[in-house]
Amino acid sequence: MSTAINEVKEWILAKHAELTDIDPHLDLIENRLIDSLSFVEFVFLVSQLSGVEINVDTIELDDFRTLHNIEKRYF
Amino acid sequence: MRSAVDNAVTERFKELLDRLGEKSVEDYYNPYKMFDWVDSIPEDVYWMSEDLISPYGTELVDELGVETMMRLSKWESINFYSMNVHGIRELLIEVVNRIHMPGFEIPSDFFHHFIGEENEHMWFFAEFCRRYGGKIYPTVKLELGSAGDADVENFLVFARILLFEEIVDFYNMRMGEDRSLHETIRQVNRIHHQDESRHIAFGRELVALLYKRIAGRLDETELRGIEDYLKRYVAFSLRAFYNPAVYRDAGVEDPMGFRSRLLADERRRAPELKVVRKPMSFLTKNGIITDPTLSIN
Ligand SMILES: [Fe+2]
Ligand SMILES: [Fe+2]
Repeated sequence: MSTAINEVKEWILAKHAELTDIDPHLDLIENRLIDSLSFVEFVFLVSQLSGVEINVDTIELDDFRTLHNIEKRYF
Repeated sequence: MRSAVDNAVTERFKELLDRLGEKSVEDYYNPYKMFDWVDSIPEDVYWMSEDLISPYGTELVDELGVETMMRLSKWESINFYSMNVHGIRELLIEVVNRIHMPGFEIPSDFFHHFIGEENEHMWFFAEFCRRYGGKIYPTVKLELGSAGDADVENFLVFARILLFEEIVDFYNMRMGEDRSLHETIRQVNRIHHQDESRHIAFGRELVALLYKRIAGRLDETELRGIEDYLKRYVAFSLRAFYNPAVYRDAGVEDPMGFRSRLLADERRRAPELKVVRKPMSFLTKNGIITDPTLSIN
């Protein structure tokens, strides 16, 4: 795993004290690790770490579903 | 269990509904004729009260300089009206889903006014965005998911609507009476504020009633979960005023970094708290929030 995707993981873990690790294939949205109130910040974080400008109106939700997908698409 | 609003209402609530309904009829106006849409609004003035622009209170105001701050005030105002357009669409969906459904017979007449007025608000906010900004800023939305428990879901829906309307109203009131702003800007804000004072009066009464209904039944952990969710919703709403797409349009360098710097700046906390002071004290007075500390960044 790259450092950037690790930062993404740490960001989620910091919001979920009950977790110690996240499987790269775990569906973050389905499992409510990311919800409607944190999703925007999450997208901004990925954008900032990857340097990719993300257009919120053209987002592919599946690109954000798992750490694996995020890494594949953005890092 | 049959769950809804009708079972929770009091005489006082019914009287309020009657009064607000009458007021809606009296105050009714034709939005399509009401506004003085000028051809253009000058670019070298503020489009938003200075104390409402997101860098207010920090040294980033001086870093940007007056010209960029004015440009930023234009795009932040377009962002604000865009947030209104999207927020209204979402609340309309919820109210349309409930009108004339079992359990919502008592407020249904008021819902007709509410839906009609919000449709018109959405129109004039969208009109402002398209005329003077050439666009409406998009929104990202994940499905909110349902609380499962119908009483809790009803409470959360109307609590979110109330919070949204109160936050918007703070901006409307400030800009409606700010003599330094262009008359078209003042008019949009002033007229919206007049309608919203009815919606907010309704929302406060209803949210307090719906909370009483669930407070007696849920345990402490569930109630603190609700408190936590509402505080996160408030923080989420406040963060929406820091939009990287807006900073980009205003020509601010490194829009994402700029946003992070502002959110991390402790001097932003006081202006943010001012925006939500009224709804936070309402929620606290009604025991819905027990610890008003917000974590915004
Ligand atoms: Fe409205
Ligand atoms: Fe409203």
